[in-house]
Amino acid sequence: MMLARVADSLYWIGRYVERAEHMCRLSDVMLNATLDRSEAASQVARIALAAVGDPDVAKAKNPYDAARALALDRGDEGSIFSSIALARENARQVRDQITTETWERLNLIYLRMSDPEAGRSFEDGSQLFLHDTIADLHLFKGAGDATMSHGEGWSFLLLGVYLERAQLIGSLLEVVFGEGRRRRPISDHFALTSVLRMGCALEPYLRAYTAEMQPRLILQFLMLDEDFPRSIRFCTQEIESHLSAIIRHAGMAGSVGPDRLAGRLRARMQYADMDEIHAQGPSAFLKTVLDECAAIHRSLYDTFVAYPLEDRLPA
Amino acid sequence: MSVRRDEPALNVAAPIVAPYDEMLTPDGEVRPHYAALDARLSTLSTEELAERQRTQERFFLLQGITFTVYGAESSTERIIPSDILPRIIAAAEWARIEAGLTQRLRALNMFLADIYSEQQILMDGVVPRELVLQAPSYRREMQNLYVPHKAYANVCGSDLIRQPDGAFAVLEDNLRVPSGVSYMLANREASRRVFPGTFRGAGVRSIDRYPDLLLTTLKSMAADWRPNPQVVVLTPGVYNSAYYEHAYLARLMGVPLVEGRDLVVHDNMVYMRTTTGLRRIDVIYRRVDDDFIDPLTFRRDSSLGAAGLFNAYRAGNVVICNAPGTGVADDKAVYAYVPEIIKYYLGEDAILPNIETFLCREPAQLSHVLGNLDKLVVKAVGASGGYGMLVGPHSTKAQQAEFADALRADPGNYIAQPTIQLSTAPCLIDHAVEARHVDLRPFILSGEKIVVTPGALTRVALRKGSLVVNSSQGGGSKDTWVLSETKGDPK
Repeated sequence: MMLARVADSLYWIGRYVERAEHMCRLSDVMLNATLDRSEAASQVARIALAAVGDPDVAKAKNPYDAARALALDRGDEGSIFSSIALARENARQVRDQITTETWERLNLIYLRMSDPEAGRSFEDGSQLFLHDTIADLHLFKGAGDATMSHGEGWSFLLLGVYLERAQLIGSLLEVVFGEGRRRRPISDHFALTSVLRMGCALEPYLRAYTAEMQPRLILQFLMLDEDFPRSIRFCTQEIESHLSAIIRHAGMAGSVGPDRLAGRLRARMQYADMDEIHAQGPSAFLKTVLDECAAIHRSLYDTFVAYPLEDRLPA
Repeated sequence: MSVRRDEPALNVAAPIVAPYDEMLTPDGEVRPHYAALDARLSTLSTEELAERQRTQERFFLLQGITFTVYGAESSTERIIPSDILPRIIAAAEWARIEAGLTQRLRALNMFLADIYSEQQILMDGVVPRELVLQAPSYRREMQNLYVPHKAYANVCGSDLIRQPDGAFAVLEDNLRVPSGVSYMLANREASRRVFPGTFRGAGVRSIDRYPDLLLTTLKSMAADWRPNPQVVVLTPGVYNSAYYEHAYLARLMGVPLVEGRDLVVHDNMVYMRTTTGLRRIDVIYRRVDDDFIDPLTFRRDSSLGAAGLFNAYRAGNVVICNAPGTGVADDKAVYAYVPEIIKYYLGEDAILPNIETFLCREPAQLSHVLGNLDKLVVKAVGASGGYGMLVGPHSTKAQQAEFADALRADPGNYIAQPTIQLSTAPCLIDHAVEARHVDLRPFILSGEKIVVTPGALTRVALRKGSLVVNSSQGGGSKDTWVLSETKGDPK
């Protein structure tokens, strides 16, 4: 049993920390590209900016400024700072529900990013700054995993993490592999490596498919790999299992909507066929995936958070 | 929160008495219960002390023990300064405080039970009837309402000060929604890290059971009709300055922290919205003021409580702690009668004295006040937080004249007290140990029985010479060590 508002906040903590981590990684890859070749750098920057949903292509000409704004812009709701601040604000509202160890990790990240000196730390070593933030976000999840009870609240938090992750990776793949944008397919080795880095997938990919960078294999890996924690398939497995845990806690088995949606999406990913996906174009498949993620989110709200009171009043 | 005045200027006619020093005797010798701390301090360099102070500040910041300062455009979070040097109270002194506080709260609960039922004390003329019934904090809605164990003020935080002669006196009772207990607990956690050896050796009494005792107290309020009552903490929300404390207590008690929007009242039962539907609530430890708990009964514009909550309370289906209407017993004018109230119900003299208080509603006292406006502190009865106050020694002639008019126009609305001298305790100020003024806020629980936690929040006026201990005005806090019987008593 937990308060609906608390479940909501835990879920959003999960979403915001995942978003922050993903943005850090995109920025990091973008900055890393500037160290290499300028042509590839702007291509990578374009991918990264498109993946975070920034329509302003001109920013890709100056990846450093784009990364700095993405990290620290307080006025931008999509910045890393805003995501961290919102995650922490949610955590503050459910401070009684998360352990001190977990809270401290998140608070630490917030304190560093909100420090008046944060801008200078970023300028002194932007990649180190982003790297530290990612590492601290890992520590936050690790502290939660090691100290929080793995009950209903934990499941809501992870549901947020995996739904967000599935949608972020889905958007990234749409930018890179979607056919709707009339761009030349990305074939450059450096750009493809950067895409894998954005999904934190380079090393696991290399072990699975060696250093041969094939767009099709990259798409397959990030979408359908069973064991890689950032593949969409893996996310859907986690979404399904955390939803069924929540439903078990609630004693509502067999009567709710979100688990049916989650099961269907998981099955879709589990039994997907790459040839079929290519035949109809990855965009259509990715759109279905993203739509179903959004439907799970809505259904989750209708069932556990914003349910109509009339249905639940005692007789 | 009470507001203290600044130290009187030197030209004040009243004799200046040296404040009581918590650590040193007038001859400059260290009091026995401070000996261990003093010995430890002499082995630490100023740099080491400063390092410990930084460690402590970092602990508070990391824990998020902050209050929010709202600016024009943005708001910032600040920590409440916490001084690393503990304030120490010897066992015998504490025994007296404990007895005095227990006696006082017993009498005040009896007073509340009386004025909200038979009103015997008013009929006997011990406390003037209109003083009670016309107080803004008096709630006629509470009349004849059953309160288990007659425990109206389940959590009480009284502000004590130590007078120049070394005796503790009560400056103010706080029976509404007293706060600060989380600072008491956090300061303890911090000081255990800063002075582990001294702490172990000193025989400090434990305060760790506070959350557990609070829960027991709250549960005892519903014990006769619910074997295992569902307790919740009701907070105004994350933007309240005491939010950290609300979350902290809920976490340590292991009960849900709810906001008004989580509550649903249906058929005179109170429920909270959970992920699995509605769940019944039996006891609400509310940290929301009386005015805001139920828009149907009290303030209509409040969204911090739940509509219908008070009716559920009246129906006996939920307990609200503290009971609404307790504020009438800590009213500034009623305060003056507390020694008589104790005498009336318990037949005892007050163990802890009051500060001398002049009631302007009495003509003789009014004329005394009017003649001494430059020396006294005048407070409006209904106001708090330092508003409607005249600090005589710091006022201009024009302000005094203005207050004189107000006093004559509505004498019943004012009380006056002499300028109080707070005791001083050693504090770490800019790498050096200096004396600063302190007060003492112990916390008393009352349910089935009354329990005084052997510890307190010591608030510190960090500015030199200042007597203002409020956190909003340069005040800080420090840990308070109450020593056990065998340690630290004067030989």
